[in-house]
Amino acid sequence: MIGIEWLNVYAGLAGIALTELFDGRGLDHDRLANLMMERRSVGLPFEDPVTNAVNAAKPLVDALTPGERARIELLVTSTESGVDYSKSVASYVHEHLGLSRSCRVLEAKQACYAATGMVQLAAGWLASGHSPGARALVIATDVAVVDEYAQYAEAATGHGAAAVLLGDQPRILAIDPGAYGLHSYETLDSARPEPTLDIADADRSLFAYLDCLTRSFADYADRVEGADFATTFDRLVLHTPFAGLVKAGHRKMMREHTAVGAEAVEADFARRVAPSLAYPQVVGNLCSGSVYLALASTIDRAPVQRPERVGLFSYGSGCASEFLSGVVAPEAGPELGRMRIAERLAARRAVGFEEYTRLLKETRRCLVPERDRRVDPEDWWDFADRAAHPGELLVLTGVENHHRRYDWR
Amino acid sequence: MNDTVGREARSAAELALREAIGEILPTLPAAEITGNRHLRDLGADSVDRIEIILTVTRRLGIDEPLSAFSAIPDIDHLIDHLARARRA
Repeated sequence: MIGIEWLNVYAGLAGIALTELFDGRGLDHDRLANLMMERRSVGLPFEDPVTNAVNAAKPLVDALTPGERARIELLVTSTESGVDYSKSVASYVHEHLGLSRSCRVLEAKQACYAATGMVQLAAGWLASGHSPGARALVIATDVAVVDEYAQYAEAATGHGAAAVLLGDQPRILAIDPGAYGLHSYETLDSARPEPTLDIADADRSLFAYLDCLTRSFADYADRVEGADFATTFDRLVLHTPFAGLVKAGHRKMMREHTAVGAEAVEADFARRVAPSLAYPQVVGNLCSGSVYLALASTIDRAPVQRPERVGLFSYGSGCASEFLSGVVAPEAGPELGRMRIAERLAARRAVGFEEYTRLLKETRRCLVPERDRRVDPEDWWDFADRAAHPGELLVLTGVENHHRRYDWR
Repeated sequence: MNDTVGREARSAAELALREAIGEILPTLPAAEITGNRHLRDLGADSVDRIEIILTVTRRLGIDEPLSAFSAIPDIDHLIDHLARARRA
């Protein structure tokens, strides 16, 4: 059986309350009801896609014996926050995690779907038996580059990474082999055409997400005999650009697949979906890591007492999507609990709007190509709470002749 | 109004749309729903817009992907689209 052996999330050292951000930007508080979010993570100038990825994965890698670590034979970073057109984020991550030089190293881009696509390909490779006992590490990592031009999307954008360790001892989620459905087509619903510019067509993007949920589940049901949206899955974990969209998606699917009334739909949402939204509601959209943040949320918030089947949906703009499933066993709760994700999210330093805009001026430069640049992490510690990441922390110290430099703090 | 869309089909689509908008945006005065405005001009956020489209298409028995409604510029064109889709 192949699946997720371990999972961790790094969501930065700082965060801002959405009411604070709405006040600062003059946004309409009535919109908070459908956004269904409370806070979002805020990046610091010494954080980038590389440090987020390493800081998410390091606790997983450190918990392995040297022998086990050497069996990580595939490392993939999935990101829409590339730091170079050619050199991958994964190359830096491979170095700073101290992985084997016999490890296959890759970066994947498919907007918010990329991590799930790579999880599935990695699971297929692990199942091939070509390297018995091997592990694969897929890390979804991104940063926020939007400011007020993005309006309500600024409030929904997160910052951080999710690290997914795959192998043949799936303590977190055993992936159902062959149980998946796909739906993809070309559209320009959202994109990052420049290092500081995210473009988004809200209707095009949200409508595509919902169509893909319907169609990828239909493809899943074609492949999996007897699959039923309302009864096959004990829990649902959906890509979460903002929690309100997940709620709308669940409602749409329940209308399409059942004849139950609004109250029953609401009760089903509270039981099967809501626990997955607790972390996304205080982190924001982690792009392709979002579905794994939601998976961590449902396991931490509502620990399973017996093996439970989870339906997962990943959607990436552009667009590509997949509905898949797996089984979470009772041991997942204590295993994931070792990562203390809830505690670390609560420990993020709360920044005010003025502080946020000062940080944003620096962090928006994160992906802008520069030959040389110096970043002094010591200048920014007042904006961080180290309790949000008690172990060693990788920080960006600058760029020298296009080579990014990092150090441990 | 598009001449190729029958008056009856259009009236039915308009009525269903006005009902759906009224249900999702109950505090909106009906007089504000004019043909040259987009749903977002009425104060409908992205989730409200999803609910309005899903409600009206269900009522009219229209089975089209939501993405068919992504680029409709205003309520007049939305009514035309609904009337045509219902007839199809």
